[in-house]
Amino acid sequence: MNQRQRFIRKIVYACVIAAMLLPLSWLSQPETTESKGGVLAQMRSEHQLSQAQLGEIDPASETIKLATLGMRGVAANILWTKANNYKKTEDWAGYSAALEQIAKLQPNVVSVWIFLGWNLTHNVSVEFDDYRDRYYWVIKGIKYRQEGTKYNRDSPRLLSDIGWTIAQKIGRADEHVQFRRLFREDDDFNGSRPLAQRDNWLVGREWLLTAEQVAARGVAVRGERPVLFYSHPVMCLVNYSEDLEEEGTFGEVAKNAWKKAADAWSELANRDLPTLSNVFIRLSEKEQYDEKSAQAQAQLARLTPAGLREKLVEEKKASLSESEREAYEADPSQRTKEHDSLMYLVNDKMAISHLEVASRITGSDHAAALKAAEEATNADFMSNLINIERDIVYYDYWRLRCQIEPEDDTLEARKLIYEGNQAYNAAQLVKSKELYVEGLQKWRKVLDAHPALLKDASMTDPLVESINNYRSVLHQLDETFPGPFVLQDVLDADVAFHGPRLPISQDSSAADGTPAEAAGKPAP
Amino acid sequence: MVRETDPPLFSQWLWPSVLYFLEAAAILGLLTVVLSFLVAAFRYGPVAAGDVTYQAVRTSLRDLFSLSPRRISALAWLAVQESLRRRVLVGFAVFLLILLFAGWFLDANSNDPATLYLSFVLTATTWLVLLMALFLSALSLPADIKNHTIYTIVTKPVRLGEIVLGRILGFAVIGTLMLGIMGLFSYIFVARVLNHTHEVDVASLKNVPNDSSGSRAGRTTLAQNHRHQVTLDAKGNGSTDIAQGHYHNVTASTDGDKVTYDVGPPQDLLTARVPEFATALRFKDRSGKGGDRGISVGNEWKYRSYIEGATLAAAIFTFSDITPERYPNGLPIEMTIRVFRSYKGDVEKGILGSLVLKNPKTGRASQIETFRAKDFYIDHRDIPRTLTDPTGKTIDLFDDLVADGQLEIELQCLDDSQYFGVAKPDIYLRARDASFTMNFAKSYLAIWVQMLLVTGFGVMFSTFLSGAVAMMATLATIVMGFFKQFVVDVAQGAVQGGGPIESFVRIVKKQNVTTQMEPGLSTDVIQAGDRVFMWFMTHVTGLLPDFRQFDNVDYVAHGFDIPPDVVLVQVFTALGYIAAVFAIGYLFLRTREVAR
Amino acid sequence: MSSEVVVETRNLSKDYRDFWGRQKVRALKALDLEIRRGEIFGLLGPNGSGKTTTIKLLLGLLFPTSGQALVFGRDATDVSKNERLGYLPEESYLYRFLNAEETLDFYGRLFDMPAAVRKQRTAELIDLVGLNWAKRRQLKEYSKGMARRIGLAQALINDPELIMLDEPTSGLDPIGTREMKDLILKLKSQGKTVLMCSHLLADVQDVCDRIAILHQGELKELGRVDTLLKVRDETEIRARGLSEAAQNEIRSVIERHHGTVLSLDNPTTTLEELFLAIVRDSEARPGRRAKQDS
Repeated sequence: MNQRQRFIRKIVYACVIAAMLLPLSWLSQPETTESKGGVLAQMRSEHQLSQAQLGEIDPASETIKLATLGMRGVAANILWTKANNYKKTEDWAGYSAALEQIAKLQPNVVSVWIFLGWNLTHNVSVEFDDYRDRYYWVIKGIKYRQEGTKYNRDSPRLLSDIGWTIAQKIGRADEHVQFRRLFREDDDFNGSRPLAQRDNWLVGREWLLTAEQVAARGVAVRGERPVLFYSHPVMCLVNYSEDLEEEGTFGEVAKNAWKKAADAWSELANRDLPTLSNVFIRLSEKEQYDEKSAQAQAQLARLTPAGLREKLVEEKKASLSESEREAYEADPSQRTKEHDSLMYLVNDKMAISHLEVASRITGSDHAAALKAAEEATNADFMSNLINIERDIVYYDYWRLRCQIEPEDDTLEARKLIYEGNQAYNAAQLVKSKELYVEGLQKWRKVLDAHPALLKDASMTDPLVESINNYRSVLHQLDETFPGPFVLQDVLDADVAFHGPRLPISQDSSAADGTPAEAAGKPAP
Repeated sequence: MVRETDPPLFSQWLWPSVLYFLEAAAILGLLTVVLSFLVAAFRYGPVAAGDVTYQAVRTSLRDLFSLSPRRISALAWLAVQESLRRRVLVGFAVFLLILLFAGWFLDANSNDPATLYLSFVLTATTWLVLLMALFLSALSLPADIKNHTIYTIVTKPVRLGEIVLGRILGFAVIGTLMLGIMGLFSYIFVARVLNHTHEVDVASLKNVPNDSSGSRAGRTTLAQNHRHQVTLDAKGNGSTDIAQGHYHNVTASTDGDKVTYDVGPPQDLLTARVPEFATALRFKDRSGKGGDRGISVGNEWKYRSYIEGATLAAAIFTFSDITPERYPNGLPIEMTIRVFRSYKGDVEKGILGSLVLKNPKTGRASQIETFRAKDFYIDHRDIPRTLTDPTGKTIDLFDDLVADGQLEIELQCLDDSQYFGVAKPDIYLRARDASFTMNFAKSYLAIWVQMLLVTGFGVMFSTFLSGAVAMMATLATIVMGFFKQFVVDVAQGAVQGGGPIESFVRIVKKQNVTTQMEPGLSTDVIQAGDRVFMWFMTHVTGLLPDFRQFDNVDYVAHGFDIPPDVVLVQVFTALGYIAAVFAIGYLFLRTREVAR
Repeated sequence: MSSEVVVETRNLSKDYRDFWGRQKVRALKALDLEIRRGEIFGLLGPNGSGKTTTIKLLLGLLFPTSGQALVFGRDATDVSKNERLGYLPEESYLYRFLNAEETLDFYGRLFDMPAAVRKQRTAELIDLVGLNWAKRRQLKEYSKGMARRIGLAQALINDPELIMLDEPTSGLDPIGTREMKDLILKLKSQGKTVLMCSHLLADVQDVCDRIAILHQGELKELGRVDTLLKVRDETEIRARGLSEAAQNEIRSVIERHHGTVLSLDNPTTTLEELFLAIVRDSEARPGRRAKQDS
């Protein structure tokens, strides 16, 4: 009896175990050449999480992972805490050693590489006072992330991050002059790369383009807006051209660089970009949609009987509440704060959409009106979408810059101003004055051709700096700043952007027309 | 090197510690006697209990005084034999494997490879040896009891204390042997890995601008992931800059027209500086008022404090015991000064600072000596015996600036709105260099001490716990020992997130440590439980050894001589613990029926 | 023969308890024994009767629940008694990674013996137990019989006055058993006291002067072997060369004296009989104690 019970119990256990094994096999059956494997294996390949797909399998990393005996999470946690402590106590050798170990433990977590690499390039490097030490840590952080690409060869985010860091950290840091010089001299990082190519912008662009290639293979770009992702390599070309000029290279070289940048912008403008609304757009197509919308709106207007719009306005006004109407009808200059906050709502309520108009058109025109309204609405929607993406990458401004910078006048103007600045810094006052005068004249020409340039502070800022140098040169030569100044519109725009500038120094304000003094004088 | 607290002076440490030890021993001893009396009274009644307790104390003391070296050595010999039997050699194999593959796990591009490699071998050795000590010591006695081999031991005139002591000594001998060999291998490994040389990249040599002496500057070839900048005089001799914590000397030899440059072995890479630290550091603020600390530049770490440039702010280091006998060639100063810039300034140039030597009594001072601060580097400068004062008069270092062996060195930052940060150990006199090999050996002595402690605790626990449990208990002691500071902080409520129970609840509920627990009954219960827990933790951890205290890795790794006082304190602390675990082990073994 | 008492137990009891302190087994109940100098004393009993417990109590390996165990007049837990004591455990619990010489030298050191003495004793004892040919071999290569011998040698390393042997002949072949018995008798002749326990009755019968029979922790029988085995109301007749007639005549003589002829065959091992009778009796009437030895 007892024995039989025991036997039955064993059978039950076996059944339960078998029953539990079934879903387990369903979940975790490995992938083979014949079958796709269990659910986990399928998900792994779907999300590209299997080791071999991600990149190299490193024995050291695997050893460390094994050695933690399934306590990888705990070990990683301890290392992170340790790393934090090393950072706090400024033990950089210990910090970087801990980082290496973390990476070995979590080699396939891309954000670890990015985060820790960023820490090295941006947070550790600035702790050092000597710019050479800083550069060492910047490069170390970059190399760290490059190591990460071995384990994650198909991560657009990591590749893009490396490119961005090479380009921006070296090219935009406070010490960018020194960093760019060190980067050019860095045989160890650049290897056999020819000197002409050893520019952080160009090298960074190579990585960014690799990231684009990976994305083109269908790997999703996560964590960054597509338009930004694709704009980085383009901006590298722009920045490269700018830095060429800043460091005194003009002529054909600069011209070609700018042209290349312009081409890259055109290419980006014609690229199909995904947006948050699940629609693909092209940056270049805004004008087409605006045109389309205008046509459709005109068509709708033709079909709209007289007085319909006014009627709609009246109806909407009637639907407003007492206080809303009060705000709406108040003189805009007399509106109180409460009115202003109400107006957001009121404006929404009072807006008349194309479709509202069309739906009120009766008779034979109804269908045509609806169609026109729909077209206009769609075109507006697309135009708006494109505009958002354009604003993000500052499209209008850079297109314009890329268009005018390769022009001979602009190149000449920049060259003259550059030489003027050089002469100014070398205290060659007369020479610099001549160069400034000529350069500013050239700028007049450029600005006359492209008045839109004045819409942006990043255009006027360097010019104003040079104008101030010029002003200082004149002061030192005991000359007065010319009354009707050739680039007065630049100065005006500058005041509009930043407000009046403070005088550069006490004595210069006493001598010539500083804004404060100029304000008191009658206008010429 | 960072020293957040001054290491203890042995002479000042000894008596308080001995007193504390005796106090703890007396309390524990009394507690044991009272406890055994109570147990005996429960079993045999109070009258007989008195006799039993008296007999127990008497025999214990008699046992203590009849320890025989021959028996202890026999038992130690047995422990050694047993360890060899249990293939401790596997430990060596693992160690060699670790060394062989160390390159896999270590950052080849480290900016301080000496520190990295030294801390690596020392840490690896520590863990391996401790692990083996743990296995050997905790499993041995329980195995003897389980196999009944203990029967033939305890039926001999062996005192129970001898069993405990013999085992501790035996395993210590094995540990010592292992450490010796591991130390040798580590030393060879580190020396071999770090030793390297470069060649002068002749193509890069260019004349130094604005220098008519014919000196040239260039760089060396790449080796071990770094290269140096090299400055040579007209003859071609010179030295490199400091990279990865070392520099090389360069000598040129001419053979006809051909000049060959010989780059020497790395200097300052494996050193043991014997620093003479300042005995006091005080600050002056920007208006010249004195204080204990400078200003904070907002770092979380409060180790260094800062002085503002181009103001009266200064950091004043007081050195004692400055005599011509100790420093016949003047003062060799080494300093590490942190720089904090509040604005970019000239990127290409370091921040200007100054040093002034002052007589603390007369206030007589030397002419200021300026320098550009080298952030994160050890800057070496020699102060000669003959100096000038601000008026240009010649003065003697020892006669005019030292009073009663004391000398002040005043550090100032000269650039406006820039800051220097220092802590007391940041400026020191590099009196001499000790032998690196000896220093390395001293660091192994500290590992040896830790090994001895683990062995002692392992044997102690194994006198009353079964093998696996004894091992876990010893492991817990080690872990607690390494995190003692944290455990003490938790026990005293200094760690955010409450006591152990509360923290656990927070983990389960995924609740942030900074959020308040919801008030209510359950929270009250949890916190009451924690208070009990923490009371025990406070008192138990107080008795456990702080393993961090035995950590000399930092000294060796950063190239500083381990002060003899530190070594002495470590050894004596360990001896105290060994005495304690010996007594406890003896008592537990006495109360144990080995034939159960 | 001296009448000095070497081993004495007074009301010695031992309970085994589990982890929670609950009583599990009562291994020994109020044992009173006295063993005198120079005698060979046998503790007899089936497995689990308390023999080994008694020995362990006498060695101080276990602590008595109540009562006292005295060896050389000192408490059994007193280490100093071990100076004059030798113990051969049930199985040879020796360090298997040592060889015979190392083993004996090691135990010699535990007696604080100087090196020269140790060397001499080791050689003598290895000779005595006949292991000269295997003295450099690790014990793990030893057969069970060899292990017993080296076990005995370690028990004798200090030339003890009192020797406790736990199952001395177990695992030995007939020749080995004989040699062991001879050795025990030789020890007795040297004036040593031997306390042995065994469940092999023949061994005990051959060598012991006195025995105690234990069953379920209780002393069932105690006395001199010859006295115990003398069955007073039985007569055994063995003769040679008797004719059928002569045998009949003897039978008739016995019948005339109102006796009954039991057998005229070979005699049985009467210790076994006695033992079995005690066990049967004890199981039928638990709690009956042995009459105090006179």
